[in-house]
Amino acid sequence: MSTITLTIDGQQVSGNEGDTILDICNASGIDIPTLCHFQGLSNSGACRLCVVEVEKERKPVPSCMYPARDGLVVHTNTEKLEKYRRLILELLFTERNHPCAYCVASGNCELQNLAYRYQMDNVRYSYSYPNLKVDAVSDYLVIDHNRCVLCGRCIRMCDEIAGIHTLDFGNRGWKNTICADLNKSLGESSCISCGACLQACPTGAISSKFGVYQVKPHEEYDTVRSICPVCGVGCEIEATVKENRIVKIESPDLMAERGILCYKGRFSEVARDHSRISSPLIKDENGNLTQCSLADASEAANSRMKAIKQRYGASSIIGLASSQASDETLERFNAMLRDSIGTDLIDTFDGDDYRLIMKAHAAAGSTSPDQESTLEDITRADCIVIAGADPFETNPVVGSYILRAVKHNNASLIVIDSEKNPFSFNTSVWLKPQKNRYKPVLNALLKAIADNRELKGAQQKKIATSVEEVDIARSAKDAGIESTELNKAALLIAQSTHPMVIYGERILSLQAPDVLASIINLAGICGDKKGTIVSLKRHGNSMGAWKMGIAHPEQSVISYLGNKSSVKVAYILLAEEYCDNADLIDGLKKLDCVIVEASYQSPLTAIAHIVLPCPTWMESSGTYTTLDNITKVTSPIIRSAVGATPGG
Amino acid sequence: MAKVKVATVWLEACAGCHMSFLDIDEAIVDLAELVEFTRSPITDIKEFSDVDVGIVEGAVGNTEEEETLKELRAHCKILMAWGDCACFGGVCALRSTLDREDVLRRGYIETESTYEGKIPCAPGVPELLETVKPINQVVKVECYVPGCPPDAKNIHYALTELLAGRIPVLPSELMRFD
Repeated sequence: MSTITLTIDGQQVSGNEGDTILDICNASGIDIPTLCHFQGLSNSGACRLCVVEVEKERKPVPSCMYPARDGLVVHTNTEKLEKYRRLILELLFTERNHPCAYCVASGNCELQNLAYRYQMDNVRYSYSYPNLKVDAVSDYLVIDHNRCVLCGRCIRMCDEIAGIHTLDFGNRGWKNTICADLNKSLGESSCISCGACLQACPTGAISSKFGVYQVKPHEEYDTVRSICPVCGVGCEIEATVKENRIVKIESPDLMAERGILCYKGRFSEVARDHSRISSPLIKDENGNLTQCSLADASEAANSRMKAIKQRYGASSIIGLASSQASDETLERFNAMLRDSIGTDLIDTFDGDDYRLIMKAHAAAGSTSPDQESTLEDITRADCIVIAGADPFETNPVVGSYILRAVKHNNASLIVIDSEKNPFSFNTSVWLKPQKNRYKPVLNALLKAIADNRELKGAQQKKIATSVEEVDIARSAKDAGIESTELNKAALLIAQSTHPMVIYGERILSLQAPDVLASIINLAGICGDKKGTIVSLKRHGNSMGAWKMGIAHPEQSVISYLGNKSSVKVAYILLAEEYCDNADLIDGLKKLDCVIVEASYQSPLTAIAHIVLPCPTWMESSGTYTTLDNITKVTSPIIRSAVGATPGG
Repeated sequence: MAKVKVATVWLEACAGCHMSFLDIDEAIVDLAELVEFTRSPITDIKEFSDVDVGIVEGAVGNTEEEETLKELRAHCKILMAWGDCACFGGVCALRSTLDREDVLRRGYIETESTYEGKIPCAPGVPELLETVKPINQVVKVECYVPGCPPDAKNIHYALTELLAGRIPVLPSELMRFD
């Protein structure tokens, strides 16, 4: 890349060939007003506010679209340009309805700021006063077309970064509007509510249903950077806090790694409606949970556990923890039950997943789960196999990473799923085994890939040998799949350079080690040791809990809750989870004592004998390990509600 | 030195701009030394006389407002707009996206508390215009102080500029629309 030198406003500045004039101005600190430009997205030249004069050009040119050349002489702030910019603003204000006095964006609006900058104290043109609809069907987002300046930033964000491309322009000319899918309301469209468009919108056209009007820029508020541990992706977040309330969660940088958020991270904590447990509770003689002091509750929990242990032994006490809790909370749980009480009957709610994955890896003779690829590898893949996973439900950001690979690398998508294809028309092949008959499909795929790909190393050859006997046509028929489809998928995988295998909830729920072993082999036969497989673990800190050895190595402790059970006490660390699992609750009801440590009320806390309040991830600093084995630490965003009396 | 004569009117408005003007607090004492208010909601004088500065709060939504504005323009040398309604249409212009007849029907007949309502049509009742207009679409305007309402300090700034013989233009850092 060669360096070029230009004269901008009489000043010698340099940049690289391929830069636009705007790029060079931004890099050199020369201020040019923009509206449709958004750092990191492609440019469209829609708003014309960034016009500059280039000597020897007949008319002003948009600097965001104009490739800089060596020797250009550019003027960015002539009287003529300032006049044009003010004129553009006035026209924008007349095109739709932009009264700031009742707009959610007022005080935080790029259009308004530009009008201030150009001292737009009146408008010389007549207003068109269109009567456009407000789309408020979505659970999280509102689109008010009256406030839209058609800059297209939301569209480019939805396409290039979220990958879903729900939004685009609809209608033409004067009737042009932003539209979702084929002119559906956003709430009924393919929108995944990631909110990237919300953050990209320069006006009040796209707004959140939560937290609006709650913070004005001139009011006092805090912003806190942290990590979202709601799922195992671990995205970067920036929370806006007013009077110890989170009013908004945004991405600090949408373009960064783990930069986009999903509806869970962005909205669920702001909109949460479960009742917080802010005081310890203990069941009184009438069977009602009543408030008590933390000292009394801890004392009661300890003395009951010790009494039961003395009478029935430590194995009458079980511990069950949510992998949603931080390492620190899990550590405390582990130390209390394993070290002080002395029981080994400790497990996580997702312990079955752990045992399945370990068994499958052992069967496949391959690397352990902590050597999976990073999520960023997905965006570099050119062929992605998605087995029994719906990232848009479990880890929506991963869905966007996959779609980005499709968009930017032209990656092929192969979905192996008996129930659902979450990627609809982006999919190259959907292999849909009948009645969860994954095994024959996977074996046939392995065989077809082995036949079409140069195998490297002993492991790949071993995998090939293990499927040598497989008859592709018969296996495909066995699973109810066309063998042409299967061969097509196998060829796409075999011919790819950076394949990636992603599996998730539906494979984990099958609890079939041989199926998962085949999936691991599928990754093994087409990739290196690292960089080919990602498992979408179900909880925010599954990896952390497993590495700490909280999950029982052999058996689910829930299985100890049978009729002839010798278990008397269960200590459950529920953390932020809401538990309404009827089987578990029925099993627990038979015990002498159920102690639950939880942040929010749920059917499980209702049957507990002792409830201990648990701080949420927003209230404490905690260590979490992402599903791809990266350790991240959250910062406390708000003060803890624990210990506060209700209403106080 | 003779006092500068000022007339103020509110058209389609909420009186907020005039209230904000009164928020200049003790500065009003000094101002009173330099300025004489003629027709104004503050003085309650109803007749127009020739003035140096005419001040308008509110947008133009009916024939009476249009007439009042034109009359003020005819009596003043410099016309100043106060607030988003006068400058841009503001909150008043909300109804401009709707059909005038629908607005009247909703307001006088369909409101939940109305029984046997009737759209006023007696002679002398001003007629609603098709759309609400900012004042510069009706008469020539020399200067503007936007804001809903404009900050007292912005109103004070504009008046001080006028008294110093300059046509005020709010600097960017003072501009506010809300």
